[in-house]
Amino acid sequence: MRPHILAALLRKEWDRHLANRGGVALGLLLVAAAVLMGAFAPDEAAGSVGRVGGAHHCFVEYDAETPLVAHLARNVPPELAGQVVFRRLADADAVDGLIVYDPGVGSIQLRQPAGGAVRVSVWYPDGDPAALARFEGWFWRESRRAFGEQARRDGASAPDPAFGPDDSWLVLEAHGRLRDRAGSAVPELVVDRKGLGGAVLDVRAAVATGMVAFALYFACVYLLATLTCEERERGLLLAQALSPASTTEIIAAKALFYPALGIGLAAVVAGAYRPDVLAEPFFWLSLAAVGGGFLGVGLTVAALARTQRAAFLGAMGYLLAVSLVLLGCTTGGVRWVPALAVEYHGPRVLHAALTGSVAEDHWGHLLAAAGLAAGWLALAGWLFRRVGWQA
Amino acid sequence: MPSHAIRIAGLRVVFGSFPAVDGLDLDIRAGELFGLIGPNGAGKSTTLRVLTGQRRPTAGAVTVCGYDVAREWAAVRPLFGYVPDRDNHFAEFTGRKNLRFFARLYGVPPRRADEVLDLVELDGAADVAVAGYSLGMRKKLLLARAVLHDPPVLYLDEPTANLDPRSAALVRRILRDRVNAGATVVLTTHDMDEVDAACDRVGVVCRGKLVALDSPAALKQAHTERVVDVVRADGRREAFAVDTDRGRRGLAELVAAGRAASVHTREFDFRATFLRLTGQAFE
Repeated sequence: MRPHILAALLRKEWDRHLANRGGVALGLLLVAAAVLMGAFAPDEAAGSVGRVGGAHHCFVEYDAETPLVAHLARNVPPELAGQVVFRRLADADAVDGLIVYDPGVGSIQLRQPAGGAVRVSVWYPDGDPAALARFEGWFWRESRRAFGEQARRDGASAPDPAFGPDDSWLVLEAHGRLRDRAGSAVPELVVDRKGLGGAVLDVRAAVATGMVAFALYFACVYLLATLTCEERERGLLLAQALSPASTTEIIAAKALFYPALGIGLAAVVAGAYRPDVLAEPFFWLSLAAVGGGFLGVGLTVAALARTQRAAFLGAMGYLLAVSLVLLGCTTGGVRWVPALAVEYHGPRVLHAALTGSVAEDHWGHLLAAAGLAAGWLALAGWLFRRVGWQA
Repeated sequence: MPSHAIRIAGLRVVFGSFPAVDGLDLDIRAGELFGLIGPNGAGKSTTLRVLTGQRRPTAGAVTVCGYDVAREWAAVRPLFGYVPDRDNHFAEFTGRKNLRFFARLYGVPPRRADEVLDLVELDGAADVAVAGYSLGMRKKLLLARAVLHDPPVLYLDEPTANLDPRSAALVRRILRDRVNAGATVVLTTHDMDEVDAACDRVGVVCRGKLVALDSPAALKQAHTERVVDVVRADGRREAFAVDTDRGRRGLAELVAAGRAASVHTREFDFRATFLRLTGQAFE
């Protein structure tokens, strides 16, 4: 790696961007938007929940495999199939002993220690008590059937009293009457309903996170891939590859320049939103990890695409495809596939850094992003060395 | 430098089952201007790609200034300049900026960029963006870039295409000056007049093989048809082969009788020679 060649290649990249003013203009627009966002209503409290109401999934979590759980599992109606997930409480994802749920997910927890009272805890998405209405309706109806069958098995002739599955008071009242007739054959029922809690999404922080992530994506995927392919299409990569600059030096210059540009732009955007963030190591580590991941994606697109047009379509197609996969997995309850995407971990760590709410699990996301970045870079380096500069 | 700047021995390049170059043997001397000609698909561009490291040979050995192109590419790379058949400049940069970028890569001082701009007579357009250059100006800028680091070997693919006669003459003069200074120049072209006017030696390749190798004059000598075309006074045309007694006698009688309105010898025709050598027409 010769410094004078690396310097020449880096300067060339810089000069190209100054000469092609479209990218500069877009970068300036990003910064202007961040400045405006920081300047207007800087002390505004978190104003709204950035999520459509309702829950697309409901966990039924239990401490033991009781007949009630078995009955519920056997009687999930077709319209809720795939949206009700049964699991043991011990298997739930927890941080510091607290179970963590994804946005748009609620839970009905069943605890029946030593065959005593059945304790039902309904956890609905915060601020949306009716979010689990469909699931609760089914749950109470089937619970009621299970208890009724249990009472009949134990010899009680108990016609069902009036029952309204959408109302906790009615549920408890009906259950009390059932117990009055069936006696100890039916366990006591304790119901408790709570919001899941957690921070409410600050829309400005979400927008700032999006802009920072976009700045990285814009530089490391879009600009890198399209300009590299433009160089290939016009024979410029070939001209450089036939000069004393080696393939490694050509890749290294791009691998230095575009992340530096992206991180610089992202830092300016983040600094305009919240200047304090620039003093936080986690923020810079997040930029490096996410920028590295995007760099690997950009180099991979640049190596595979032959033309500037193909690179543009590749960069945008990748973004769309990943977005669709993440959306599908989130709404479909698939948990491990999103973890394979830099775009899953990136916004989480960037948002945590921008809002100063870094928790232990964010370090896990950071490590995952860094690991994925290493994988992408290894793939991209191999591809680029194999086919990258050839016309 | 060895007496042979470029040695190609048993070069074979195969695409799938098609041999683009099929056992080519060719030595190009140091300090000569060599023309590589052949019909489309003959293998000359593939040979040039091997020489410039863009393609690895399937078999055979290629050395440039004593260095093996496949094994010692790092040593070969600074030894040559290359003018491709299509321009590949940074269109948004000026001519000067393009050359200064490559000057930095080659580690030559920036003023060298100005010198070569003068050399190709682009000094007046040095600070104009290349996007505004004509095809001919771009071609000349390619030559300027190729000679920027004063390489001992120059490869040129159709160097005078799109050039006006004056610019073509300028390019030929620059190439001749390079050769006089000891450099080796290899050019591929379809322009037979250029081969005749510029090259010291010519190699004719066809179907991946070398079918003729000599100076243009020797090729003329060997392949010119010794035929005289006569237009008789009555308007009829007649041809006399002067290699035969009958032909010589018939021509002499016609001229002596004053019945020849005009007499023309058939000059060397590279196209006809080419047809004879390769069995293919120029395209």
